[in-house]
Amino acid sequence: MIEHSNLIDKSRLKFSKEKILATSLILPSLILVFVTYLYPAIFTFVISFAEYDIVRLNIKKFVQFKNFQYLINNAFFNSAVLRTVYFGLVICLFTTIFSFLIAILLNEKFVGKALLRVMIVLPWAVPSVVSGVLWGQMFHADTGFLNALLYQSGIISEYKIWLADPLIALHIIAVAEIWKAIPFMTLFFLSGLQSLPSEAFEAASVDGANVFQRFFYILFPLMLPIAIPLFLIQFVLAMKSFDTIFVLTRGGPGGGTTTLNYFIYKEAFETFNLGRASAAAYVLLIITIAVVLIPSISKKILNFFWGNK
Amino acid sequence: MKNRLVLKKIFTYFFAFIVFLIMFFPLYGLILTSIQPENIIRSRNLSFFPTEIIFTHFVEVLKPNHISNIYEGIKNSLIVSSLTAFLCLILGFPASYSLSRLNMPAKNLILGALISVYFLPTILFVIPLFVILVSYQLDDTILSLVVPYTAFTLPFVIWILKTFIDKLPIEVEEAAKIDGCSVFQLLSFIIFPLLRPGLIAAFIFAFILAWVEFLTPLIFTNNLKISTVALGLFRSTIDIKIGQQAAAAVITLIPVVLLMIFFQQYITKVVLSGSNK
Repeated sequence: MIEHSNLIDKSRLKFSKEKILATSLILPSLILVFVTYLYPAIFTFVISFAEYDIVRLNIKKFVQFKNFQYLINNAFFNSAVLRTVYFGLVICLFTTIFSFLIAILLNEKFVGKALLRVMIVLPWAVPSVVSGVLWGQMFHADTGFLNALLYQSGIISEYKIWLADPLIALHIIAVAEIWKAIPFMTLFFLSGLQSLPSEAFEAASVDGANVFQRFFYILFPLMLPIAIPLFLIQFVLAMKSFDTIFVLTRGGPGGGTTTLNYFIYKEAFETFNLGRASAAAYVLLIITIAVVLIPSISKKILNFFWGNK
Repeated sequence: MKNRLVLKKIFTYFFAFIVFLIMFFPLYGLILTSIQPENIIRSRNLSFFPTEIIFTHFVEVLKPNHISNIYEGIKNSLIVSSLTAFLCLILGFPASYSLSRLNMPAKNLILGALISVYFLPTILFVIPLFVILVSYQLDDTILSLVVPYTAFTLPFVIWILKTFIDKLPIEVEEAAKIDGCSVFQLLSFIIFPLLRPGLIAAFIFAFILAWVEFLTPLIFTNNLKISTVALGLFRSTIDIKIGQQAAAAVITLIPVVLLMIFFQQYITKVVLSGSNK
């Protein structure tokens, strides 16, 4: 009897020892990450309700919701918010479609597949400054390939200054972002495709389903659980893109490519209004969280109205 | 049936060619611009193949007093990226082992919290960090880049290493434990060698992510005492010489592209290993 209780105590002791060990192994990482993230996040939250003195590096005074009020009443900010959502949607929509198609291609057998895979992964490692330079040159008014190509083939009669048009400039930045985003999503789609049961396709093929039927009735529904999170992650990442905008247009022309992230940068490090910038950063955070939560909330609503399956 | 197979083959190769063109042409265009004289770049004749190859742009860019300051940039970027990657491994390796194998409360919560911070807007953290760095006069130092980079990349590295450790056979560890192996011996003599592909993959990820980072150095090195390659290249965009700009871009690209080509299988492994769980 005594021995028995002793044994329990020992195992309990061992158990808590393991807990201590586990915690001590992970603690340095947790401290570093949360000190670098959490403390700044709280700091940003506090100064979003304040006026911050950039010279003396302290809070001048608290202004309650004034920063947020200013932002809501600012037409430029509101259009930046809408632009950010549009920009994010365009990028993740096209990235998802292209990556899905490329992943299907890479799932086939053909000569030169290994080379193509390297080429497809490559843009991920391209620094976004380089991709900014690269697409800037591609769409350059004097020396760009696009102007030369369109001019030579007679589609345009004179060279166009692509980046001078706000709407075109925004989409050029989107192109650069999509090009950089394709590699990763393609790899994830590819891993999804490789884990699919091949029996379903064979059975459908035997039953006489054609390529399109197999695509829309089998592949598409099977891939949807992988595609939705990828789509959302890309949406979130696209909304925080900064480098390409900074290199290509600096938010111009006429603010036409100023997304929320760039707006925050300008408020913080060009006009040095840290309070307003922090408030805007929290608006971006709220939008980000909203985007991430959309699927689970909509699922709950659907379940509520149509019952749990 | 055979006709259909041939048709499929043709379609596959055609599609593969298109994809190759779209993904590779921008890079090819950059290389083309970097090795052609300025007057050919600016001429209106469209040529997809170099008519005259010169390396003067590279020579100009590599001169010590060039605006992009490429030597300084490469040196700093190498130091910062390697330090970041090493720190990430040193901190991330034990952490991921703990998350993967040891008994700990709220494991999934910790992992989830770590991963989710990666998707939060960077600018949210950058403003206060900037204020802190300036108030302790730590801006414009290598440290001011390495610490934030490590914090930004560490969650990713922990996730990569965890997926690799999850795949290791647990029997080896159990046998070692029975033989009286302590955790530190276990980590350094048994897990470490087995985990080599994972460690390489994580190192490359961290290195590349640090190499391409732009916003952090842009803000934290405001006095431009230290420069990274990305910053140097950006400064060269102020200049109008297209050829030199392209050459600087190519030089910035070379290290990461080489890493990518040589270790491509590790990168792919990371993603592919995460799926079939």
